Amino acid sequence: MSTLHNLSTRHPVGTIVILALVVGFAWLIFAPWPPGLEQVMGRKRVFLNAIFSGVTLGALYFLVASGFTLVFGLMRNVNLAHGSLYLLGGYIGYGVVDATGYWLLAFPVVFVVVGAVGLLLQHQVFRRMEGEELRQTLVTIGISIVLADLMLWYWGGQSYQVLSPQWLSGPITLPFVTGVRPNGQAVYLSYPLVRIAILFAAIVIGLAMWFVLNRSKLGMLIRAGVDDRDILAASGVRIQYVFLAVFAFGAGLAGIAGIIGGTFQSLSPGEDTRFLLASLVVVIVGGMGSIPGAALGAVIIGLAEQIGLVYAPTYSVVFTFLIMAVVLAFRPQGLLGGRR
Amino acid sequence: MAQARTAIVRTADRSAAERLGSVSTGNALELRGVTKLFGALAAISDVTLSVRPGERRAVLGSNGAGKTTLFNCVTGDFLPTSGTIRLFGEDLTNFPAHERIRRGLRRTYQISLLFGGMTVADNVYLACLGVSRGRFSLLRPRPSDAIVARAHELIEAVHLTRARDTLVSALSYGQQRQLEIALALAGAPRFILFDEPAAGLSPTERSELVAILSGLPDHIGYIIIEHDMDVALRVAESVTMMHNGRVFKEGTPEEIENDAEVQELYLGGGHG
Amino acid sequence: MADVLPTVAPRKSLLALERIPAPVWVLGLLLLAMPAFASNFVLFQIFGWSFILGMIALSLMVLAGYGGMVSLIQMTVAALAGYVVAILGTSGVTQISLGWPWWLYIPLAILIAAVFGTLVGALAVRTEGIYTIMITLAIAAAFFYFTRQNYGIFNGYTGFNNVIPPAWFGVDWRQAVPFYYMTLACAVLSYLAVLWMSRTPFGLALQGVRDNPRRMAALGFSVTAHRIVAYTFASVIAAVGGILLVWQNAQVTPGTAGIPQVIDILVIAVVGGLKRPIGPFIGALIYAILSVFASDILHAIGMSGERFKLVVGLGFLAVVGFSPDGVLGLWDKYQARREANRDPLLGGGR
Repeated sequence: MSTLHNLSTRHPVGTIVILALVVGFAWLIFAPWPPGLEQVMGRKRVFLNAIFSGVTLGALYFLVASGFTLVFGLMRNVNLAHGSLYLLGGYIGYGVVDATGYWLLAFPVVFVVVGAVGLLLQHQVFRRMEGEELRQTLVTIGISIVLADLMLWYWGGQSYQVLSPQWLSGPITLPFVTGVRPNGQAVYLSYPLVRIAILFAAIVIGLAMWFVLNRSKLGMLIRAGVDDRDILAASGVRIQYVFLAVFAFGAGLAGIAGIIGGTFQSLSPGEDTRFLLASLVVVIVGGMGSIPGAALGAVIIGLAEQIGLVYAPTYSVVFTFLIMAVVLAFRPQGLLGGRR
Repeated sequence: MAQARTAIVRTADRSAAERLGSVSTGNALELRGVTKLFGALAAISDVTLSVRPGERRAVLGSNGAGKTTLFNCVTGDFLPTSGTIRLFGEDLTNFPAHERIRRGLRRTYQISLLFGGMTVADNVYLACLGVSRGRFSLLRPRPSDAIVARAHELIEAVHLTRARDTLVSALSYGQQRQLEIALALAGAPRFILFDEPAAGLSPTERSELVAILSGLPDHIGYIIIEHDMDVALRVAESVTMMHNGRVFKEGTPEEIENDAEVQELYLGGGHG
Repeated sequence: MADVLPTVAPRKSLLALERIPAPVWVLGLLLLAMPAFASNFVLFQIFGWSFILGMIALSLMVLAGYGGMVSLIQMTVAALAGYVVAILGTSGVTQISLGWPWWLYIPLAILIAAVFGTLVGALAVRTEGIYTIMITLAIAAAFFYFTRQNYGIFNGYTGFNNVIPPAWFGVDWRQAVPFYYMTLACAVLSYLAVLWMSRTPFGLALQGVRDNPRRMAALGFSVTAHRIVAYTFASVIAAVGGILLVWQNAQVTPGTAGIPQVIDILVIAVVGGLKRPIGPFIGALIYAILSVFASDILHAIGMSGERFKLVVGLGFLAVVGFSPDGVLGLWDKYQARREANRDPLLGGGR
């Protein structure tokens, strides 16, 4: 609270501009649009859909990127095989759902299996190269090449979609006005229920991570380690266990994100690099090693992609890139990153 | 209303201070109210210090008194949280490190920061190159090159001629300290910061160091941080005592040496 | 290290013939005489390709080996140079290509690619160490997706075909033997340029920045400026490689600098060795031979020929795991052991 207060006294103009933007944005979302605006911006339904898709995509990006950023922050390990863990989780999740028909069952199974893969990687590979950041990163590249080819070998080149369960299919009506019928009746936005569930789940997982990081002893250790690994090592903590736990958790989270991505998009070779890159950009924008940064970056990138896709399809990639370049130019440590 | 008035007063103060600064006081190095915070911890606070051109000053104080932080602020290794730093009247508080060096400021490091994989000649050559044009030259130096010649002179000046083509990692500790000084003398230094140059040296090496420092051209002023009071008081004309990040006392070596408070603090804390 | 950083003491020219050791003579003659006994396929597909990939990997070696910056943007810089050649010169896509003369589009291609590489460098050097990999990879990906989506300039998914070298001296430079000599000449020139650079004031300062940036700043060097200029230098080499690559394939598409290709350049440079400029060429030769013959080899050991990437990945892992200095590192170790054996009095190697 006091930081907010500081901010408003230090940058009065900036604060007013941001407030005005927030209010204007809220108005765009909640109020029915006057016809003039619809002429400029197109139908409100399209706009709202882009916003919702952006936030949902951001939720998915957050799930992938938070593990990536946590591992990076704690171990300085740029895990370029993170996307492979995502795709692996998706494929395994598809297998579980296909075999049992229980969508929810896929989550614990994938979390445990992919988490175990992460455990194995950390214990067998990265631990042996402690402190050699570049070499660790090169190894993760090698692993991602190998994993990608093994997955292509086993699952082939076709694309898979994880079937969402009955109780999550179909649309849900949300309390957002998209327009007004001639008879004065308001029309509300209807949106796939499964995406709302994903958004909800991501928020819950994000909050849970925040709670663990800020309110538990383990979280305290991890945060201390992110700030200063030497202190953590010197305090007598078995730092290897913390590393193992974090790496396994990050991997498991990527795997779970794979099921979710496979449910509302699809799984195919190449998705691993796509999500690796999304994680990179999210983490660069949000701030390396910061969970709130990953959340902020994920929402920004998700929104930029989807709004770009609707309003300037040719240049949606350019938006993402521009955001990244601007952040790098003016705040190289990322929006919420600590100083390095 | 009251707040607004204090703000105005503060601005007035600042502009007065600026005017004071711009009327060149003729100091080689001038610090005004320099403070450096690390988080909530003040490594140095409100340090005001001025050194005349050609003056040789010792900065004394126990470990953690903020001496090296002071150096790092002056050379731009990091920026001070507040305060101004002037070199020969020019405000370089916000200059990057290399710009300060090009204005005649030099420093040595407490822990040797040398290029271990290169020879002595290459180290000194780099130092001479750093303050010359042609830093980006893609032409290889000829034997008659002025920078090469200057490097060889410097190597001679710090008595390292015989080790010229030795890899720095193979030098003795004392030789590495000598090389540190050679690097600081490259180009046209006007003011040098020596960070504990005598640390770890044998008595013979110490007297050689005193000879090198005393033999510097008269126009080069310096500040020396030194734990060894003997060395410090032999090469300095004036002394600044620091304690807990603040300037504690200033005076001539004799005054400081005979000051009761200093004796209690320094001999009690530093050498305990 | 000592052999990379010779002293500034006066020395003879790099090209002084009597200083060239015998193995280099043999290698040089072998390369020059290669067309006498090698097949056109070997000349064009293996050696031509190796020289090109080697040059692009060499530009990474300059940044990583001398500058300590592992950049994944080099393949993208190369592809951009290729795109500029296709757009400004002639290609099968007549509605976009401008058909300018070669003396205009070749320098422009190198210039534009160098400017692009420099800008990326300027962004990347704002952070340190392993961040460079992340940032350059992200920018490389952005370029890939952008070229795939943009039809106005880059012709989207299909890119440009029929991009061929100009007929200098009436020679068809895409014929195996002329192409071999053209790429050989470019590779040797860029190799010598890098070797030369490493011993100039700029190169020495760059290596100083790699080893000890803080000290370099305290000697009056602008660490940032040196790093950025290194990107410019490396980008020029990558650009030349990129133009040759486009001529070899006669086409340039977004996939020329897709993520796998971007990663491959890193793999090549690391496998060859980042310590000396010859490393990337060794890595490129291994890579070219592997990728051309992989399916045969895999079939021979009873596996499907499609598993080339698996072989590359495992080989890369083995190199990173057991010889971080690549094939060059293995060679150095071998030399050291041989010397130690030859001289039992000294023993113990270097």
